Amino acid sequence: MDAIEQHSQADREPVMITGVGVVSPVGNSFPEAADALLAGRSGVRSIDPGPFAREPVQFAGAVNDIPPPDAAACPLDPTAFAALPRLDQFCVSPIAAALVDAGLASGRSSRRIGLVLGLGAEHLKAWEADYLADGCQVFAPTCSPTLVQRLASLFSLTGPAVTTAAACASSGYAMALGRTWLEAGWVDACLVGGCDTLSPTSLAAFYNLRALSRRSDDPTKASRPFDRDRDGFVMGEGGAFFVLERKADATSRGARAYGELAGVGMSSDASHMVAPCTNPVQAARAITMALHDAGVAPNEVDYVNAHAAGTPVGDAAEAGAIRLALGAAADRVPVSSTKSMSGHLVSGAAAFEAVACLAALAHQAIPPTLNLDHPDEACNLNHVPHEARPAAVRVAASNSFGFGGSNLCLVLRAA
Amino acid sequence: MPSLPPTAGPARAPCQVAVAARATIAGRLTEIPALRDGGWPESTPALPRRFLRHADEQTVVGMHAVLAAIATIPEPLEQEGHGVIAASCQAGRIAAAQTLVQAKQGGGVTVSTQIVPQGSLHSLAGALSVGLGMRGPNIGVSGGPNALPEGLLTVFSWLYGSGPAACDTVWLVITGWDDEPALDADGRSTTDPVCRGVALAITREAAALPVGGQHLALQFDPPAASRCPATTAAASLRSLADSVTAHDSSAAPLEWSHHMPWGGAVRLTAATAAHGKEAA
Repeated sequence: MDAIEQHSQADREPVMITGVGVVSPVGNSFPEAADALLAGRSGVRSIDPGPFAREPVQFAGAVNDIPPPDAAACPLDPTAFAALPRLDQFCVSPIAAALVDAGLASGRSSRRIGLVLGLGAEHLKAWEADYLADGCQVFAPTCSPTLVQRLASLFSLTGPAVTTAAACASSGYAMALGRTWLEAGWVDACLVGGCDTLSPTSLAAFYNLRALSRRSDDPTKASRPFDRDRDGFVMGEGGAFFVLERKADATSRGARAYGELAGVGMSSDASHMVAPCTNPVQAARAITMALHDAGVAPNEVDYVNAHAAGTPVGDAAEAGAIRLALGAAADRVPVSSTKSMSGHLVSGAAAFEAVACLAALAHQAIPPTLNLDHPDEACNLNHVPHEARPAAVRVAASNSFGFGGSNLCLVLRAA
Repeated sequence: MPSLPPTAGPARAPCQVAVAARATIAGRLTEIPALRDGGWPESTPALPRRFLRHADEQTVVGMHAVLAAIATIPEPLEQEGHGVIAASCQAGRIAAAQTLVQAKQGGGVTVSTQIVPQGSLHSLAGALSVGLGMRGPNIGVSGGPNALPEGLLTVFSWLYGSGPAACDTVWLVITGWDDEPALDADGRSTTDPVCRGVALAITREAAALPVGGQHLALQFDPPAASRCPATTAAASLRSLADSVTAHDSSAAPLEWSHHMPWGGAVRLTAATAAHGKEAA
């Protein structure tokens, strides 16, 4: 029996991102989202919070219109697409876009393409949407195929299909898993990403937890990561998906590469089911592992996209983790939180923030942290407030931390 | 338009890992309240007081399965670096139903702050990590009928995994109902089904185990061209649990296999660690 192979960074086939699809509060394509993030445009606005509203005015990073999927990659017509649950739409549209972008709109049947969907509360969202439409799925003793199974069927994908959940880090774990499948040779290409949708129950639950910002006078000012006046996060929604391929495969077919998924680090705080861990050691360990995995030294990092959601405890803890992991380089490496513009996409956050990193690589500029008027002394980092900063960006790291103490860091490198 | 080249990935060799500890647990819905505050082996690590009071039923059963597996290990494992993969099926449904009914009647103020952290796909994995101090990665997978194959594939992915992201030991915990509870209009169950959990502590290789120690070997034959019909979550979980239980209780030969819905198969067999570490 062959032992399980262990690869070092040096002998590993790089895994490249060859297709991007995104539906988000700041844009429904990679160019749109990149432009908005680098222009510092907020996607946060007032919303109808639905039947469980705690306040007359609530706000979120909401998506107005989800574009129907490109017909070249998806057999659904616009009418059938419109009839899908919103959560499904947040996957179908960007997956189709990523396939088209990668040049895989057709001719997929002879290839093994996998799918890893980062999604933490699929059933809760589905049961709620059905119940509010007078359905009774939540009461019925049935077990239906999951969204990832339906997506694999819809797109005729023959590789493995798995849902991963790690709260706000869910879609980052999905990206990591897809990379491993490619390294193992279990798939020829892999769709990876995640999504989430606003829902009355989750808005109420996070409001009751006092985790949400209550700054309702100006929604665009509410998401204030690292600012001393931050008072909680702003929920968002959307989906972001990527096509991953081994570099040799991408090169041989002439595919464009946005960048390399070069490193992954994962750890757990083992601290509390809900509250952020104030000890930065485990979060820092995830960052360090990701840099080591990518073969990158701290002083080679050109940008950190922080998880920083705008919670008082979480942002300060992350600042400590970044300092611990980067050491002296933390004085130099620019750090920003794009949640200041998009809100917090929860299960889809890690994937969306990988989009922000790709934007930095593509445009050689660091997206800003909006509303960072008075940086908190407890978050002493090289911030990029208000406006994008031109910079040579070859290596970007992206942090994602979730309920249950899941820590994840991705390192993306220019192609 | 560029197309995919012929399959050119690394050779897809079988992978084999060792099951260092295992346990199965089954309890009826009406028995679960008593399991929230105790009933686990005395030799196992102490959970924080009332740690499971808000936990979903599958989290309670999954935690008991892990504690029962830990109790079978002669030498305490260094759990701090362990990872957790929890594959549940429709966890949190009873709490979700009751939350929705209450919110429709009383508004958002009635929505519990526990519904997201304790009623999501990730809740079992998070509880195991927090409760038992495991600081390797922890994630939930699947949530539906493919919980078993998705969990197994993810274990092999992590243990195969390259670089420092991987961990040496992963707890795979698979939970589900034999029959999904039927709920009334208030979200209360009208049936008393069995909730089942299987916990497997899986290591990269048997070298980590004492010489001569009996263990289970888990082998993954990666995807072939053909796909296999999916079985139901309950049937596949129960098949695994029954096979492990029969082997442990009567030393019956163990030959359990599961065909993955995407092709490939996983086999579980009994084995002896011939080249492992010397017993203390």
